[in-house]
Amino acid sequence: MSDQILKPEELAPAAELARKTLEQLDRILLGRKELHRLVLIGILSRGHVLLEGLPGLGKTALVKTIGQILKLDFKRVQFTPDLMPGDVLGSHILQETSSGKRELVFQPGPVFTNILLADEINRASPKTQSAMLETMQENSVTLLGTTRPLPQPFFVLASQNPIELEGTYPLPEAQLDRFLFRLLFEQVDAEVLDQIISERRRGELPAPTWQMEPAQLQSLFAIIGKIYLPRPVSRYIARLVSATHPGGAEATGPVNQYVSYGASPRAAIAIAEAARAHAFLAGRPSVGFEDVKAVTPPVLNHRLILNYQARFDRMTPSKLIGELLGQLDETGLNLPKDVAAAV
Amino acid sequence: MKTSHAHALQLFARQLRWLLTLRLAVQWTTVWFFCWGVIVLALRIWGTSGTFWLAFGLLGILPLTAVAALRARQSQPKFDRLRADYDRLNACGGVLMAEETADMDAWTAQLPAASVPKFHWRSGRPIFLLLVATGFVAVALLLPERLTRLAAHRSLEIGPVVEQLQAEVKTLAQEKLVPDKQADELQKQLAQLQKDSSSYDPAKTWEALDHIKQADSDVAKQAAEEALRKMESLAQAETLAQAMQSAADKGMNAETASQAAQDLATLLNAAKLETGIMDNKIPPELLAGLSGLNPEQMKKLAAALAANKNSLSALAGKLANLKLIDAATLAKLAAAGQGGNPAALADYLAQCKGGGDDEIFSWLAKAGKGGPGGGGPEGNMMWDNDTSEKDLKFKEHALPPSAHLSDAQMVGVSKAAPELAANDLQEQHGALDNTAASGGSAHAQVILPEQRQAVQAFFKRDGK
Repeated sequence: MSDQILKPEELAPAAELARKTLEQLDRILLGRKELHRLVLIGILSRGHVLLEGLPGLGKTALVKTIGQILKLDFKRVQFTPDLMPGDVLGSHILQETSSGKRELVFQPGPVFTNILLADEINRASPKTQSAMLETMQENSVTLLGTTRPLPQPFFVLASQNPIELEGTYPLPEAQLDRFLFRLLFEQVDAEVLDQIISERRRGELPAPTWQMEPAQLQSLFAIIGKIYLPRPVSRYIARLVSATHPGGAEATGPVNQYVSYGASPRAAIAIAEAARAHAFLAGRPSVGFEDVKAVTPPVLNHRLILNYQARFDRMTPSKLIGELLGQLDETGLNLPKDVAAAV
Repeated sequence: MKTSHAHALQLFARQLRWLLTLRLAVQWTTVWFFCWGVIVLALRIWGTSGTFWLAFGLLGILPLTAVAALRARQSQPKFDRLRADYDRLNACGGVLMAEETADMDAWTAQLPAASVPKFHWRSGRPIFLLLVATGFVAVALLLPERLTRLAAHRSLEIGPVVEQLQAEVKTLAQEKLVPDKQADELQKQLAQLQKDSSSYDPAKTWEALDHIKQADSDVAKQAAEEALRKMESLAQAETLAQAMQSAADKGMNAETASQAAQDLATLLNAAKLETGIMDNKIPPELLAGLSGLNPEQMKKLAAALAANKNSLSALAGKLANLKLIDAATLAKLAAAGQGGNPAALADYLAQCKGGGDDEIFSWLAKAGKGGPGGGGPEGNMMWDNDTSEKDLKFKEHALPPSAHLSDAQMVGVSKAAPELAANDLQEQHGALDNTAASGGSAHAQVILPEQRQAVQAFFKRDGK
């Protein structure tokens, strides 16, 4: 087991690559350091990210910049109600060969890329949205009985805005569950806006001064795979996800009151993987409780299905998760209620 | 593990063990002190003498603390969880937790400096309860003995009741209504009750007192009834004796005198004056010679009868003063003691030519009850000549018709709901009568029974 724990000299170069990536992101896109960190964690965890925010906040710019920094193939699909699955996945077209025969030739769709920006994904019909399910979970496309693997790595960075909901099709729970994170784009403050206006003519982004090679990205994936997840932490993740289910042994009062369905086992896996990436970015070889706490809100906030009473009481998943993280004892010491430990 | 962290972790675990031990010891000691205090109070109230040894209950702390330490050791969290908590509190990022499977010496140098986390116990309430329990034990141990005795022998305030009953028994004994032996027994019972009465079981005492009171009342009522009978006989005999004296002066013939004397003897014999509650006996020589008493002896007899009446009245007065008989009974006795009209009877005897026993007894029984002037015997009830039924029935005649509603005058407005007769209900319209074919009347439709379930299902909220 000891050879599986990363040594400092193994981890340091990889952490330096991640630090440079973040530095580039923060330099190009101003004012969203924490968001950039979470997006990078999503990518390093090999997960898909759902970006949610009002128009003009820089969702598309963020995805493009990541593609540039990571030197990955990037394609964008603007989802509309009349978009068909074939427009995303690709389709077979009839072509005449040099010998004069005609045959069906597969023409790959935009999904055959490394980073797919599914812009305004909730505007496509459920049929087209469902076409993304296999690509996101299996990293492959099956058409006419033939399964074709997607280029690796493959990420879907989807965006949707919380307004103009007429004519949209809310993502089904099955597809929401396939997104590692759902990240909310908040408005930037006036100081950042001033900096954008003064330094970015017409909003044009500066080119990255450093780019990561594909081989380096693969090495990062390998390093993250070696980040150690201690049993107490994995037990905490399991208890945390279990506590999101109403009626569970450690479910809190608000969970019992407001949650219809809790998070799936896929959520527990997502928390573990994201926590590994978070620990890696912090330069540590093992996952701590603080890593879990940092990644839990974006992992769970789209996986809790609340009931109508939560709507009436204006209870949100974020509030519930914050309350849950505050109440659940991380280590399961089960100390008496009148005893607490602190440094 | 870095030596400093290993040492800090050991201190952390030891600190938790001590805290859990202290916490349990305080809780159990509090409970023990309350129990100990209750035991001490109970023993002292029940009169246990020499309570110094009760202070040794303080030694109970020692085994409690030992058991608390053992229990705390058993309930202490596992080491890996303590290490995880230590890792969390020191922000070690899982490095210390990873030591469960690998050697992390290469990383421990990068960990923050070791710091032993502190446990905080919100001890205000437990300590306060312990202080209260300690105070309770101290009070239980140091409470003056006179206070505990007071609590042990708190008697009922039954002195006035017992005094009343004692006076009743004494009076009944003086009047020979109860035998002396029984009276002594009752007096002893009352004294014992007063001594043994306890506020812890008042019902028992009150029940015994009620029993004695009831016995006194029963004896007094029997005596009153007997006194009433004898008072009537004495009054009749006195009236007859006085009438015989007067009639003799008015020339009553010998046959009537003899008959009256026999009647007087019959009356006195039937009254059984020699038995029961009579205190002043009739001289036996007078009773023996009733048929031939001379005027002097007749006078003595009348005086003896009067003395006996007075004696009975005095007895009744004593019983009434003690409230053993009520005012109505006392009034009956007084009325019975009122003599008849001896003058009228004397006239009757003087005019009577050998009247029978029945006539004299009837006259005595009714004497003085015939109205003004004494009168004679009352007339008998007659049951013939029926009473006329004239004017007993009303004549039937029809009432005039009521006034028209337009001529009515409003006298007030009631807020109560109008009461509908069964006929009024039949005039109501159907639920759909007011609806129109169009024009937005649909919202006013009544939900029919067969539609109700569907509407409820539509508006049903999720219970969760």
